[in-house]
Amino acid sequence: MSLLNIDNLHASVEGGREILKGISLEVKAGEVHAIMGPNGSGKSTLAGVLAGREGYTVSQGSVTYDGRDLLAMSPEDRARAGIFLAFQYPVEIPGVNNMYFLRMALNALHRARGEPELDAGQFLKTVRAKLKFLEIEDDLLQRAVNVGFSGGEKKRNEIFQMAMLEPRLAILDETDSGLDIDALRLVANGINRLRAPDRAAIMITHYQRLLDYVEPDFVHVLSEGRIVRSGDKSLAAELEKYGYAAFGDAA
Amino acid sequence: MSAIKTEAAPYLDAFRANASEPAWLVDHRRAALTAFGERGFPSRREEAWRFTNLRPLTAHAFAPIPSPSIGEGRNAERQRGISGGGDAGGAITPTRSQPSAARALPHQGGGKLGAEIDLGVPTYRLVFLNGILQSGPTDLPKGAWLASTARTIAERPDLAKQALDPSDLAGGQPFASLNAALFADGFVLALEPGATLDRPVEIIHIAEAVSAASIHSRNAILLSAGAKATVIETYSGKGAYWTNAVTEVAVGAGAALVHIQLQDEDRRAIHLAMARAKLAKGASYRNFGLTLGANLSRRDVQIALGEGASCAVNGAYLLRGEQDTTNAIFIDHAAPGATTRELFKGVLDERAHGAFLGTIAVRQDAQKTDAQQTSRTLLLSDRAAIDTKPELDILADDVKCSHGAAVGDLDKDMLFYLRARGIGADEARRLLIEAFVLDAIETVEDMRIREHLSSRVRRWLGSFETHASRAPQDEGRA
Ligand SMILES: Nc1ncnc2c1ncn2[C@@H]1O[C@H](COP(=O)(O)OP(=O)(O)OP(=O)(O)O)[C@@H](O)[C@H]1O
Ligand SMILES: [Mg+2]
Repeated sequence: MSLLNIDNLHASVEGGREILKGISLEVKAGEVHAIMGPNGSGKSTLAGVLAGREGYTVSQGSVTYDGRDLLAMSPEDRARAGIFLAFQYPVEIPGVNNMYFLRMALNALHRARGEPELDAGQFLKTVRAKLKFLEIEDDLLQRAVNVGFSGGEKKRNEIFQMAMLEPRLAILDETDSGLDIDALRLVANGINRLRAPDRAAIMITHYQRLLDYVEPDFVHVLSEGRIVRSGDKSLAAELEKYGYAAFGDAA
Repeated sequence: MSAIKTEAAPYLDAFRANASEPAWLVDHRRAALTAFGERGFPSRREEAWRFTNLRPLTAHAFAPIPSPSIGEGRNAERQRGISGGGDAGGAITPTRSQPSAARALPHQGGGKLGAEIDLGVPTYRLVFLNGILQSGPTDLPKGAWLASTARTIAERPDLAKQALDPSDLAGGQPFASLNAALFADGFVLALEPGATLDRPVEIIHIAEAVSAASIHSRNAILLSAGAKATVIETYSGKGAYWTNAVTEVAVGAGAALVHIQLQDEDRRAIHLAMARAKLAKGASYRNFGLTLGANLSRRDVQIALGEGASCAVNGAYLLRGEQDTTNAIFIDHAAPGATTRELFKGVLDERAHGAFLGTIAVRQDAQKTDAQQTSRTLLLSDRAAIDTKPELDILADDVKCSHGAAVGDLDKDMLFYLRARGIGADEARRLLIEAFVLDAIETVEDMRIREHLSSRVRRWLGSFETHASRAPQDEGRA
């Protein structure tokens, strides 16, 4: 079953510059897709458009998620429908406690699904369980959201949130960048744990390394706003060897 | 003699010397009244009043509440005496005969007042209705005096005299002069050397006015050397009244005072509060003001610092509609080695207006002064506005002084981050506004008071009509 269907998506930023120039991509439940591509090719723009970030204009094309017109939904409705974006640059929010924030988010999702909200005790129990395998310090949770976190801690916090919110479609924007090898393994572990027949993930990455831990079903190369090549895992190995130059003009 | 200003005339007419008061007080009142009459209301041409629109105050004459020592018959006479306000007679609920709000008030302890006015923890509590004391504590520890100003005048004139200030007679602060002339009551807290209060002092003001009336309270907080106290004043009420409060503060050597002012007056009311503090060597004074109410409000805090003394003046204000507030902070570094910290957070929605005037004067011999001032404002609407005027007058050369001001809207990236996790737009905005004022509120060290202030902020946010409900455009397509 098709979970996400992107059809000929064109998007431009304020000022009118077109960044996405006709992207088509189908993600079925159970699949993991990797998107690779040079800096500035539009990977984060695609992730932003999918998550509902302001400031983009979609001039052509459509995105269907779980049978719904995704682009007509507010960011919070997308999240409540199971979309999760792990930010390339997680935002620091002074004054908002990480745990408080996460509980608010989780309960918003529960409410949307008509499930009972978690009380403080139930919430803590879930937190403990997820923290354990991500090896996150309790201390990080008592601090303000991402404030003063190291680069790697921010990425781990994103994965922790993902583990808590259990999305149906996770979009990971360079979650592996800036991680040491142990952290990478933990993050990969977090992604793998969520793999299930009814879930899917899109992993944006520059490195073959992540794909060694989380094996993708498909690899796509994004260049200048278009998907110029798609293949299986071996495409990533090819890229590692020859670089993007070989694909740059393919479109 | 100079001419009497017309806007001052109704207040001059309302003045009646009270035969039961001591001569020193009557003399002070008369002289203060003269000073006010010659000075009149401040004008916006004056730098200190440039950003404060006093029109709501000058539009009516606000009949002063009579002092409790004057009998019922005299009340009527006094109130008739004020003519400018039209139907000013009986403008306010009589204080002795009909303490309607006060009757429901427990005298002290952990009992709850309506609408969570009180702290909800044991305190030494004084409750004022229309500026007149209704109930006070009976179980004060040794070395502490805490009573109404009226009673202090009768029983401890030595302390009561300290509630008056020579500047009342100069007219430089006309509302303080008017207050000196007309005040009916107030509170005086005095601690002997080394005395410490085990609970906060809680001063609750409730006003009930059916038409324009003014409540002038005169207070003093006097800590002798090494004494320690926390005072929280809460102002609330119903009606279009005018509160004009003056608090004289003296903090002795090594003494420490925490002074919280929570202003949650009726949205039709006017609230002017002046705190004048003198800090002796090594004294500490921490002032915090939370401003939520009143149509027009102004908080003046003026501090003179002794050697090595430290003061913190912090505050948060959250306003909407056409509410207007001014925080005017004046710090006089008169001696070396003193410290000042100021942090103000403002949240202005709809057509609200705020002003922050922060003057720090460092005199020539005030070397090693360390002063920091920060004012940040969130403007949630295009029509909201803030005027900020920091002023550092530095005459000493070996000092550390800084000030910063910033004005902005809610951060778009933060909002998106929260919404991308499923938190609704309105809830996300509330969360960010609460977070914005948090660091100012966190300057209050007492956890219970901090939580009390936070809950007031959350209540304000609870009735917050966000942009999402006003402007649907941000729910649109990506
Ligand atoms: N708001 C914006 N205004 C102007 N240009 C923008 C805006 N957002 C993105 N761009 C431009 O769009 C292009 C694509 O940016 P995007 O962040 O999607 O790249 P990316 O593929 O994620 O790159 P990287 O690998 O470096 O993260 C870049 O040239 C960028 O400068
Ligand atoms: Mg990117």
